[in-house]
Amino acid sequence: MKRSTQVAAPLLAAAAMAMLAGCKGPEMQRCVDENNKVVDDSFCHQPGQQRPDGHGGFIFVPMPYHYYYGGYGGYGLGSVVGGGSYTPTPGRAYSTTSRGGFGSSFSGGHGEGGGEGAGE
Amino acid sequence: MKRVSITPREDWQQKVESVGLVFHTLDNGDPYWDESAAYQFTAAEIDTLEAAGNELQTMCLAAAQHIIDNKRYAELEIPWAAIPAIEWAWQNEPPAIYGRFDVSWAGASSGHAPKLLEYNADTPTSLLEAAVVQWHWLKDMPESLVSSKPDQFSSIHEKLIAKWKDLDEYLSKPVYFAALDYPEDQLTTIYLRDTAHQAGLETLQMYMAEIGWNSELQAFLDPNEDQMFSIFKLYPWEAMLAEEFGPHALDTYQSVRWIEPIWKMLLSNKGILPILWELYPNHPNLLEAHFDSPGHMTSYVKKPLLSREGANITLVRPDTQAIETDGPYNGKRMVCQALAPDAVFNNVSGNPRYPVLGLWMVDQECCGLGIRESAGPITDNLSSFVPHFFV
Repeated sequence: MKRSTQVAAPLLAAAAMAMLAGCKGPEMQRCVDENNKVVDDSFCHQPGQQRPDGHGGFIFVPMPYHYYYGGYGGYGLGSVVGGGSYTPTPGRAYSTTSRGGFGSSFSGGHGEGGGEGAGE
Repeated sequence: MKRVSITPREDWQQKVESVGLVFHTLDNGDPYWDESAAYQFTAAEIDTLEAAGNELQTMCLAAAQHIIDNKRYAELEIPWAAIPAIEWAWQNEPPAIYGRFDVSWAGASSGHAPKLLEYNADTPTSLLEAAVVQWHWLKDMPESLVSSKPDQFSSIHEKLIAKWKDLDEYLSKPVYFAALDYPEDQLTTIYLRDTAHQAGLETLQMYMAEIGWNSELQAFLDPNEDQMFSIFKLYPWEAMLAEEFGPHALDTYQSVRWIEPIWKMLLSNKGILPILWELYPNHPNLLEAHFDSPGHMTSYVKKPLLSREGANITLVRPDTQAIETDGPYNGKRMVCQALAPDAVFNNVSGNPRYPVLGLWMVDQECCGLGIRESAGPITDNLSSFVPHFFV
């Protein structure tokens, strides 16, 4: 046999369903933990904690929660999200990081297969 | 090898959507996923294609070594600033996952060997069609068509998962998957991420434009300000290098595992074609090719070093008017490649269809076939994907 014994691609199938349902873009916003599991929104409102540093002072420990936009996974607490994107956590400082330095070459009409994109 | 007409499955659109293919129909309303036909091969023909893919891979790796040994970067218009990173990557063998050879062939009865058209070694797509969608299609086909033991040249899925498992100890986690916001790119990237996930790797996904550069840390950061060490990008190196963060990617190349690695620039460049012909003249899997001019050839294709989607291709035959396609690559360096022997099959209406056979390489091994088909001899963005099986 030269074909795979079994082909299951659950993340792919779920992402395709989410695209068809229009669940894409900033309209679906969830707070997720470091494992991309949906948690209560209040966790994303906490910028972090002050914890003793062992030398009489305190250090700032950021919380491992952030917002996740679009993709699949719904809003249910504990469900795993994917296929979308996340954005900077509110309340944290990002002043020295610039973005948008990749991705500007293909503004449309490029790529192969479905017609657009950077693949071929 | 023959093209057989088939009645598409009832609700085929929903069936392919359910396994991940939402871009099944072109803007003009024609199917991109076209299951009104399939290509049927013999097992011996599949063996021929598999051997051709493996042979081409061996030759391409030798050609890359030749380019590096002889510093032939300028002929491929590789930016000089990228050379140290390319040479480092070649020596240190960072992870490389996949690629797709496009070959022309009309089957064993043609009397010819499969001929290499080009190597999409950096950002190949049509992956989920070949690995997932046609696999599920074959499951639904009746025995009257495909025999009681239908087979297909597609173990891509298993090979990808196995490759990620092999790479696990060499990759910092999470492995990021970055692409543009187009359905085809997103779903191809999600599929690759899915295979990494099934291999047990921790993964995250983001858009290319979300990759951040922190000049104080001299590091790429994800949107949550975490440093990125392992990045799969469905985005060509030549575009990355031309963009704002390109110099940073080169400066920090040794501390980031970019997949595919930057040395793939040597193979995804059409300049590899004349170099292969120079190293392996008259090899049965190659077409004669030269930089800039056709030499003595009277039937040939002229194409830019870095064109996509059939752009800026000129097809020349004696005594007929040349066929030219538009595109943004005018003024760029060209290669001239001999025309492949005819590989044309008529559809049920008697119209010609021109297949291009995509041979999938995972972990340097040929493990799958995906067929794109066009109404003319140049594969463009109106081509369709046609499934295959063998008996």
